[in-house]
Amino acid sequence: MSKTQDQVLGHGDECDGIEEYDNDLPAWWVGLFILTVVGGIGYAINYHFVSETSQLAQYQAEMAEAEAQWPAMDMTATVVVTEEMLAEGKDLYMTNCIGCHGPEMKGGIGPDLTDAEWVHGGTFNEIQNTISKGVPEKGMLSWEPILGPQKVQKVTAYVHAAGGGQ
Amino acid sequence: MSTETAHTPNYDDAVTKKFLIASVTWGAVGMLVGVICALQLAWWPANLNVPWLTFGRLRPLHTNAVIFAFTGNFIFAAMYYSMQRLLKTRMFNDVLSQVHFWGWQSIIVAAAITLPAGLSQSKEYAELIWPIDIAIAVIWVVMAVNFFGTIAIRKVKHLYVAIWFYMSMVITIAVLHIVNSLVLPASATVSYPVFSGITDALVQWWYGHNAVGFLLTTPILGLMYYFVPKTAGRPVYSYRLSILHFWGLVFLYIWAGPHHILYSSLPDWAQTTGVVFSVMLLAPSWGGMLNGLLTLRGAWDKLRTDPLLKFWVVAITFYGMSTFEGPMMSIRAVNALSHFTDWTIGHVHSGALGWVGMAAFATFYYMVPKLWNNQLYSVKAATLHFWLATIGIVLYVMAMWTAGITQGLMWRELDADGQLQYPNFMDTVLQLIPLYWIRLVGGTMYLVGLLVMAWNLVKTASGVAPKDGPEQVTAAPESLPTPAK
Ligand code: HEM
Ligand code: HEM
Repeated sequence: MSKTQDQVLGHGDECDGIEEYDNDLPAWWVGLFILTVVGGIGYAINYHFVSETSQLAQYQAEMAEAEAQWPAMDMTATVVVTEEMLAEGKDLYMTNCIGCHGPEMKGGIGPDLTDAEWVHGGTFNEIQNTISKGVPEKGMLSWEPILGPQKVQKVTAYVHAAGGGQ
Repeated sequence: MSTETAHTPNYDDAVTKKFLIASVTWGAVGMLVGVICALQLAWWPANLNVPWLTFGRLRPLHTNAVIFAFTGNFIFAAMYYSMQRLLKTRMFNDVLSQVHFWGWQSIIVAAAITLPAGLSQSKEYAELIWPIDIAIAVIWVVMAVNFFGTIAIRKVKHLYVAIWFYMSMVITIAVLHIVNSLVLPASATVSYPVFSGITDALVQWWYGHNAVGFLLTTPILGLMYYFVPKTAGRPVYSYRLSILHFWGLVFLYIWAGPHHILYSSLPDWAQTTGVVFSVMLLAPSWGGMLNGLLTLRGAWDKLRTDPLLKFWVVAITFYGMSTFEGPMMSIRAVNALSHFTDWTIGHVHSGALGWVGMAAFATFYYMVPKLWNNQLYSVKAATLHFWLATIGIVLYVMAMWTAGITQGLMWRELDADGQLQYPNFMDTVLQLIPLYWIRLVGGTMYLVGLLVMAWNLVKTASGVAPKDGPEQVTAAPESLPTPAK
């Protein structure tokens, strides 16, 4: 600590009576400043030139990781329907489909799902395809982007079983 | 103080008084609109189904009113008051001062009419339509001429640190405003920006961030350097530190804008520039906090009795807090969570209510007794204001942090199948409603505090005898240490 600590500079009469000390900069503050400057430059060099990251690369890495953890489903493969699937499928039906197809699947805005007539085909795969892609021209949404393939499969299982699919 | 009384007759304090009254008045209006916005977010029917009362129109009215009317007039009042005393001269030209005052208020009135009417340029903090933008540029230049004219005719050689900070505002805001408002008018109310796409976005946030930097930060640091040593009767802690953090701030701030558009179509290298300069802003910002707080060394005992010092301590502490939070939010990984959430709103208001607002209140409590030559009417009411405001800020900011982090985490939550856990946006919004009510309570407390202050200041100005006894709120410095030489 130098001897200038807590000594006023003495130009108070030029500053409406405000005096100023000329104290040393706090050492930790100088350290912090240097740290952020060096750290910031280091970060930039690392980001662009060492690990050669970019937001596109970050996005691709995250997608690849997700692809590995949740591989794309083969929607044409035969599905073994379990009790669990049916229960979850029922819940999904009750929250998402009931508005148009009714609580008893007797139809309303959309067609009856319990009769023998299937406008877009009544096999498991055909029903699944209708739910996935929707029927936009008649106002039915494409559900795969909203529910994801797993849930589409579950609700298909429920509709196929409860509605009497072929 | 003796130096003050000797020169008081020369100073144009009439214009200072006008700016001060305008600031308190617009502050009450702007924050009332803020409270209404907060209510609408918790309970939308509060828009009463009237188009001009809807959130989309009231929100820009709130931001423009609190930034340009409340903060703007506050800065001008403090600047006219302190620079005349620091430079030992009356303002350069009284007509310019009057044009500045009335011009600025007309701009505010024009804003208060056009924004609810739905006329907007759709650039945040630069919503006003092009004819008003031209008026702002003209009035700003009038102020600048008056400002530099006053420096030119000053009676002292030394330019005190407060003046450097004011100067950085006068120059930088002019440049930012003019460049960001470059448009091609299509009619009296419609225009198209000359920049397009991401260039336009970058210019907008270069403006936006530095509006924060050179309107809500540097001028207030400048007036802190005047009012804190005056209020505490203590010398400024370190001249050296003030030079260093001043140049650090003005050099670094200008580059930090891209932190508002991280993970956008802005090229990666430009985003990195914004990140790096924002992180480097931490130390220069904290330099201001340190110089403010360390100036109060030796005055801590006055803190118990003097509400002015209480306001300053909270203001400076919130400045330190929000300038720590800001650099953190500029880091890509943190911003990926905080962006688009109420975390940003919390950050904004810890700076706006904590730093800007509390500094304004301390300054008003200092200036009004001096300007009207009376003692503060009620120290108790000022202390009540202090607690209302402080608790209000804490409620506001805590509610917004919680809301922001909650919603940010909900957006990225995946279920066992790798699908979004909350694909329905509304599910994440409904979670926040209770927090919005808490924010409303905090904001209302802050507004009530402001009204208590307004009442107290009116009483003071009209010369009603002080309620809490004759003692002075702010003691003049009893004895200053003698110069080194
Ligand atoms: C009574 C006090 C206040 C209340 C209740 C309040 C309330 C609000 C509300 C509800 C919003 C909109 C948030 C959203 O869109 O989600 C907002 C935005 C904003 N307020 Fe305030 N406010 C207050 C005081 C202030 C003050 C004093 C300032 C500045 C000096 C300020 C500056 C801003 C800014 C800059 C925004 C825009 C933030 C952004 O876009 O990120 N507010 N305020
Ligand atoms: C070192 C200082 C600071 C840095 C690096 C910083 C950084 C940031 C960052 C990263 C954001 C969020 C951008 C986004 O995700 O959209 C932000 C928003 C904001 N900050 Fe700060 N901040 C600092 C200090 C302050 C202070 C002191 C204030 C107020 C007095 C303030 C006012 C605002 C406002 C108004 C916004 C909202 C902008 C919008 O409308 O989106 N900041 N800041």
